[in-house]
Amino acid sequence: MLRIRLHGRGGQGIKTASQILGTAAHLAGFQAQDFPLYGAERRGAPIVAYARFSKNIVLERGPVAQPDILLIGDETLLSDPMAAVTQGTDASTLIFINSRHTSQDLKKHYHLESLPVQLDISELCQKYIQKPMILSTALAAVGVRLMGHIDLHHLLQAIREELGQGRINPEKIAANLTLAEEVFQKAPSFDLEFSESDNGFSASRLVILERRPPVDSAPLIFATGNMAQRKTGNWRTHRPVVHNEQCNGCGICYARCPEGDIRMDANDKPVIDYDHCKGCLICVEECPKHAIEIIREVESWN
Amino acid sequence: MTATIPDSLEESKYKKVTDLNPEEEIAPGSALCAGCGGLEGMRLAMKVLGENTLTCNAAGCFTLISVYPFTPLKGSWLYTTMSGPVPAAQGVRDALDIRMHKHGLPEKEDLQVIVVAGDGSTNDMGLSPTSAAIHRNLDFIYFCYDNEAYGNTGFQQSGASPLGSHTMTSPDTPEHPAGSERTKKDLFGIWMAHNPPYIATVSPREPIDLSNKFKKAKAMKGPRLFICLSPCPTGWGFDPKDTHLIAKLAVDTGIFPIKEFVDGKVTHTKRPHKRLPVEKYLERQKRFHHLFAPKRRDDIIAQIQSNVDAYWEQYDE
Repeated sequence: MLRIRLHGRGGQGIKTASQILGTAAHLAGFQAQDFPLYGAERRGAPIVAYARFSKNIVLERGPVAQPDILLIGDETLLSDPMAAVTQGTDASTLIFINSRHTSQDLKKHYHLESLPVQLDISELCQKYIQKPMILSTALAAVGVRLMGHIDLHHLLQAIREELGQGRINPEKIAANLTLAEEVFQKAPSFDLEFSESDNGFSASRLVILERRPPVDSAPLIFATGNMAQRKTGNWRTHRPVVHNEQCNGCGICYARCPEGDIRMDANDKPVIDYDHCKGCLICVEECPKHAIEIIREVESWN
Repeated sequence: MTATIPDSLEESKYKKVTDLNPEEEIAPGSALCAGCGGLEGMRLAMKVLGENTLTCNAAGCFTLISVYPFTPLKGSWLYTTMSGPVPAAQGVRDALDIRMHKHGLPEKEDLQVIVVAGDGSTNDMGLSPTSAAIHRNLDFIYFCYDNEAYGNTGFQQSGASPLGSHTMTSPDTPEHPAGSERTKKDLFGIWMAHNPPYIATVSPREPIDLSNKFKKAKAMKGPRLFICLSPCPTGWGFDPKDTHLIAKLAVDTGIFPIKEFVDGKVTHTKRPHKRLPVEKYLERQKRFHHLFAPKRRDDIIAQIQSNVDAYWEQYDE
């Protein structure tokens, strides 16, 4: 069996990527399983999806704890311990990261046990579908390539079937097919071996949790407004940056921010709380002086 | 019921956004969607209502406001079923009254009881208890964040879903080309028939109007009810940055009238000078996409327009 785990953010098409992967593998003659992990996930929040493929029946259920392939659509998640992106991986795990950095740099910076496969699929998404962070098709194409055993026409058929179910117009589907072909050509292929001796089920290793002081896991509920301890800044794919010299201090951005993440300082200039800003970019849109710029959050370090 | 509004309120009205309470009464960090219009409405409302509040929150999107052990509120929070926030408010109000009148709780420790509920809870499951509570003249504030569907469970049709909108349970199909074939319930009218002291509709795009209405309500007693239009990037299908644009178009097209009901009289506090055609609002949202492509459904768009026109005809001078 081959186990795949996909990480990204709500709205990036991670669930759809797992569905395309599952359908492509099914068309190529595999038994396939794909599903996202649902919780209180919202646009921008860390999202996980899973897939399992086998020549035999897949009896294993539940989240994939030890993936053979890890597909990371959004590099910034690697800096977020809450997202637990690399959990259950070891030197044998094939890791893909959507990044501008080199594989060597990524391995070193994130202390990865193996050299990851790197490709800037956001750039390709921008080129073909003009949406750098809608990764469904491109990430599925990378997955297909990494696992091998699946032909390009299976992938394209899977994309047609999966995107055809949504409210997506034919031109957009065509653009996605071109994108998939390009990623298919660019990503390296591994043709991973399927170990089929395990009759479709394997128990997960026990994860021994590190001992932490109780205060880490049990903040005082009697403390008012303690929700601020949860940092939602990692939801952001784009960062609003205020140019004070253009700002007239009207306070519109402060009034319109749903999260209350903008306060006006003593000089009537807005200060953005990047620990919590989810990156909705309402402030950018609403600023009458166009004094707020958008910077794409592409990576965790420069 | 006659409302008593102190004269001093007129002078202390909010006039510009910098007049608003600079304190944030809702801490950041909640798991609500980026660009949530409902959260913006509640944030502005809480800026006026302050921290001496107790929020009875019906199940819905705002379940995510407070996830144990975290709360963004300075006041207390009580979580209820979809039909239960108003009975909960009654219980809390009674408990506070008993403690004050019989057990010596100082009056300054009294709390404003607030119900926060979505349009599903408000229009459907929780409607009957609300009717009873208004009838009993329960002293509370009702804040309905109206995103026109059951948003938290994946956007199913509610009593507030408008004509022509696509929801998960009212998809557009060849047999049902409009998507939702029902018109939005007139919740304002339903509440108005109970003759409570105060009802208002508010929009997050109109922070001054919203804040002044909450300020007015705060000074009153009895049931005071609010419907806040809550543009929903996720369910309605638009970019989160456009939340306020959508809210503005809802008002400018006349689809969402901004009004209040005091002393038996309805007043439109923000009236579009010249109403834009409804399609300016519809065409920007994926939930109405099927009205424009692959084939333009002029019949359905015209029906939506004529419903809006019929509403405003009642109030045309």
